[in-house]
Amino acid sequence: MLALRMIGRRAALSLISLLLVSLFIFVMVEALPGDAATRYLGRMATEEQKALLRTRLNLDTPAPQRYAQWLAGIVRLDFGNTMVVSRPIRDVLAPKIANTLILAGAAFLLYLPLSLIPAAIQALNRDRGVDHAFSVLTLVLLSTPDFLLGTLLLLLFVVTFPLLPAMSVVDDATTFTEFMRALVLPALTLGLVMSVYAVRFLRDGLIEVLDSEYIRMAELNGLPRRTILLRHALPNAMIPTLNVTALNIAYMMGGVVIVERVFGFPGFGSLTVDAMLTLDVPLIEATVLIAAAVYIGANLLADIGAVLLNPRLRTLSE
Amino acid sequence: MSAARPRPGFMARLERWARLWPTTPRSFRIGSVILAFWLAVALAGPFLVPYGHAQMLAGTPLSGMSWAHPFGVDQLGRDVFSRVVHGAHLVLLLSISATLIGLVIGSFLGLLSGYIGGWFDEVTMRLTEALISVPFLILAMLIVAVAGPGLSGDPLLVVVAVAAVYIPRVTRMARSAALDIVTKDYITITRLRGERAASVVRREMLPNATGVLLVEFATRAGFAPVLIGSLGFLGFGMRPPTPEWGLMISEYRGLIFLSPATVAGPGLALASLVVGLNLCTEGAARILGRASQPASP
Repeated sequence: MLALRMIGRRAALSLISLLLVSLFIFVMVEALPGDAATRYLGRMATEEQKALLRTRLNLDTPAPQRYAQWLAGIVRLDFGNTMVVSRPIRDVLAPKIANTLILAGAAFLLYLPLSLIPAAIQALNRDRGVDHAFSVLTLVLLSTPDFLLGTLLLLLFVVTFPLLPAMSVVDDATTFTEFMRALVLPALTLGLVMSVYAVRFLRDGLIEVLDSEYIRMAELNGLPRRTILLRHALPNAMIPTLNVTALNIAYMMGGVVIVERVFGFPGFGSLTVDAMLTLDVPLIEATVLIAAAVYIGANLLADIGAVLLNPRLRTLSE
Repeated sequence: MSAARPRPGFMARLERWARLWPTTPRSFRIGSVILAFWLAVALAGPFLVPYGHAQMLAGTPLSGMSWAHPFGVDQLGRDVFSRVVHGAHLVLLLSISATLIGLVIGSFLGLLSGYIGGWFDEVTMRLTEALISVPFLILAMLIVAVAGPGLSGDPLLVVVAVAAVYIPRVTRMARSAALDIVTKDYITITRLRGERAASVVRREMLPNATGVLLVEFATRAGFAPVLIGSLGFLGFGMRPPTPEWGLMISEYRGLIFLSPATVAGPGLALASLVVGLNLCTEGAARILGRASQPASP
């Protein structure tokens, strides 16, 4: 019961966070003191332009009422229309989110081996040359901004070894192979950035587990090293990494912004940037809220996962 | 105030530092050297490089790497090396001021929240969690976007955006440090003396959280150039012809096939500065006996 109660409490807190975020976004975008129309159009705008924007945004309605309407729409998954070309935001969002989900999935598939293998190599060769070499490499990669990393990968695979397309153009005419090729570089960049965060945690976690008594016991029992590593050490070392992975999924929501921009990949991140550059108010609100919701959801899942993976909490619940 | 203690002379202090230097972790030493290098570049560089940051016709456009132009020449004939050097003080100044603002506000809020507890703590934490749930880059972009076109390219806006990203994250950190400190007897005593919360935070909590906050400052400072560069790269930071490194990488990305050095130059600058900051952080954390963590997103 304890586990269930903890999960319930976390879920309730997540919902509160989401509500607060929606309020924050609304206030930031629509209800800051001062005239929003003047702020968005600049001082050179004519009165007519400002009036048009005010009607488009419904700015004459009191803010609390607008917030309530907006929130009521979101519950029905209706985010309103985009401002620049008046289309339902849901229709604009859906294909971009689908593209980003595929990109994120591919990045996640690369993330697992890219973090597990170096961490295992480091933990098994603790304080030896390989360990230090990987530590230096992770530090350098950790310090390389993702837009720079993407640009460098672009240089490597497009200019030096011309294997992949420079721009990930995806439209209706794109064939499956073209789409896969367009996916490689952005997914690799995202996967690399995420694994760099996780490798350190995983290495330290693995070392701690490998030093524990039950692993020593398994060694004394003559279990093969591979079995010890894969069956006993890794699963236990991965529990603390769960939080990093949740953070990484959350990072991905920001990371796709950069990576999709670097490679021209038409997904959620590109859409977010476009919304902000064109100051498409309803689209800004929708994209930011979705990004925050993904973060909150990922953290909630990680907490639930930690509760379920923790044997002490698991037995208490039975 | 008490009379000033006679301070050890400059040479004596220098000697003490020189003795301590070999005992510091290697990562700290390497990081400090890199940082010292960039500080020197930021301070003296602009007077030593041959061209201005926006000076055109410094060389043949896109002529590539040469001794006269180590990072090549851009499409407008500007010397990229000079531009990178001119950008150093800008990047450092923006990063440090944004981090400082975030740290000061965040640690005050966090320590206060941990000390007062109760509903104040609950509200602060809920707000903090809500703000953290917006991915940092999207939050920074949002702040720049809602400021409107009138303020775009303003360095102050960039500082505010980065500080706003840091405040909730530092608050959470400082609060968890505070929860540890409030259980100590000397805090209970100040509570019994009936001192005001703000003064307890300043006089008792802050000095005892210095280690945590120092590491937090270093970690955040190490990430600030990346965040500022990302904003510049996406078009939400400084405006051309400002020689901000992220903006330069974005400007020269189109030239990468013609003259890769124009991208590699500012890229190397940015990456090496961040490596230096991260090494220092790791070393400082080890000196202070704390586990260092990479800046969490």
